[in-house]
Amino acid sequence: MTDLINVDQLIKVYPDGTRAVDGVTFQVARGEVFGFLGPNGAGKTTAIRVLVTLLRKTSGRALVGGHDVDREGEEIRKMIGYAGQFIGIDIDLTGRENLVLQARLHGMSTADAGRRADLLLELFGLTDAANKRAGAYSGGMRRRLDLVQALVHEPPLLFLDEPTTGLDPQTRNALWKHLEELRAGGTTIFLTTQYMEEADRLCDRLAIIDHGKIVVSGEPAELKASVGGDVVTIALPEGTDGELMERAQRAVAAFPGAGQPTTFDHSVAIPVKDAGQSLSEIVRRLDEQGIPIAKLSFTTPTLDEVFLKYTGERMRVEETGHAQSSMFASMRGRGRGRG
Amino acid sequence: MARTIETVRPSETPEFRPGSAPTGNPVARLVAESTTIFGRNLKKLVRIPMMLFFSLFQPMLWLLLFTQIFKKLGQFPQFQTLGYSSYLMFFAPSVLTMTTLTSAFQSGMGMVTDFEQGMLDKFLISPIHRSSVLIGKVMADASRMVLQGALILVVAIIMGARIKTGVVGAVVMLVLAAAFGIVWAGLSNIVALSTKNSEMTMMIGILLTFPLLFLSTAMMPAALLPGWLETVGKFNPVTYVINTARQFMNFGYAWMDLAKAFGIIAIVGLFTLTGATRAFRKATT
Repeated sequence: MTDLINVDQLIKVYPDGTRAVDGVTFQVARGEVFGFLGPNGAGKTTAIRVLVTLLRKTSGRALVGGHDVDREGEEIRKMIGYAGQFIGIDIDLTGRENLVLQARLHGMSTADAGRRADLLLELFGLTDAANKRAGAYSGGMRRRLDLVQALVHEPPLLFLDEPTTGLDPQTRNALWKHLEELRAGGTTIFLTTQYMEEADRLCDRLAIIDHGKIVVSGEPAELKASVGGDVVTIALPEGTDGELMERAQRAVAAFPGAGQPTTFDHSVAIPVKDAGQSLSEIVRRLDEQGIPIAKLSFTTPTLDEVFLKYTGERMRVEETGHAQSSMFASMRGRGRGRG
Repeated sequence: MARTIETVRPSETPEFRPGSAPTGNPVARLVAESTTIFGRNLKKLVRIPMMLFFSLFQPMLWLLLFTQIFKKLGQFPQFQTLGYSSYLMFFAPSVLTMTTLTSAFQSGMGMVTDFEQGMLDKFLISPIHRSSVLIGKVMADASRMVLQGALILVVAIIMGARIKTGVVGAVVMLVLAAAFGIVWAGLSNIVALSTKNSEMTMMIGILLTFPLLFLSTAMMPAALLPGWLETVGKFNPVTYVINTARQFMNFGYAWMDLAKAFGIIAIVGLFTLTGATRAFRKATT
């Protein structure tokens, strides 16, 4: 009963026959940050639009705050904020007027609405443009204004559909920080994202969704653990010959807590249970053999691998082109790991 | 940008309780919500001065051009027996109605814009009664029509027209024209909500509106129309609206005609406005 969102066997079939959401079941607890992670066309937006009462489901059950999405839409709309994937701002009004309008529509008094609007405009770097027509805003500014519209009335439950897609890194960080503050204040957040990094950083729990179905769900750490431990990568100096590479590979092979090492380019990758505990052993073994180390790094597995493991394919994210070698690509993708 | 984040608490408005926001009398709520939407639409109207200028300039152009084209008609003996002192006196109520109808058939375009710009979604996820979106729009349309109509009357008076029934007559004419405009705007919104395309809305609007005007007594008195047109005109609501306005302008108080005109407007409105409400509901679920 403490679940703020309770979805059971939700199905949405569009009139053209597309099964956008195909039997999805999940719960979101009060105060939790829950994420839908999946590629374009996975059904994230459809699911969120059903929950915010903009779209009628085909079948299944969906309760938000204990209210049925079909029959008690108005009760749901009283408690939510929603920023869709597509921007919804009035270009003839100023940024501030847009915010005040949204706050008013959600029942805030004019004075409160103005105060909240000014606060959020400041927070998201829009103060200078507050009294300019939103039509004169740049794409990034419109995106920010649209996001802020979802926050202005302080809803206890926030729905954010790919909130950081198309955001500059600075704003993205500002948003992340703000969302973390909101969570600390008890706000429940449901968000969708294509970005592993985002899901990893923000979500208490997440569900990986693909082709309208939840593939796997759990805490980010739990999911990452399920695909194995860390990987330590030793890069030897450039131009290292094959014989030395083989010696290096043999040197670090099979010690307790480590798996079978593999080589690529002039590097050796060693899967280990815990990188922190294995590092000294690996360095000691290479040292004994007199093998020079050019670079040493280690990474923890990311949700990229989780997605790969459970869907059998890589995440289809438009903006980033993945390298051909899946091994190498995942190495690069993990560059920002703990080390 | 991020510099102030650390110092700001998420909640600094304790008197506002999210989740229980709109309470109280449903009628009072509907009025408040509609007024909020109305205010927003009104702001849009005045925000682009060029647009406001042209929406006011166009009807004046009609008035000037038509009264020039048909000026000599006023001197025809057949016309003079009808009791109008000039073609201007005959035509001013027509241009008033033409103006509100022109605004009316464009009304749906604003709805399409709201749809395309995602504003409709924003309205729909807020806990307002859905009809306030339509009511607020109708209120803004009506304000625009009354403003345009008042300007037309002022210009007509400057050109030499006089309203027999004075200020009361002027108010009656404005309210009548705006009422019919609102009812007609319902039709435009039905088209807008079912096509979701502004060009289509415009085109179908013109197609429905102009024949309606020409098949009425807007340009010519019924006595001077060909027989079949006179008959068609009898089934045209525009005829009743314009004829009533003409009575107040030229001859005196005609309360029975007014009641009849409003009755006809109400019947048309029953179809167009409930149709628009249904189209709105259909388009938003």
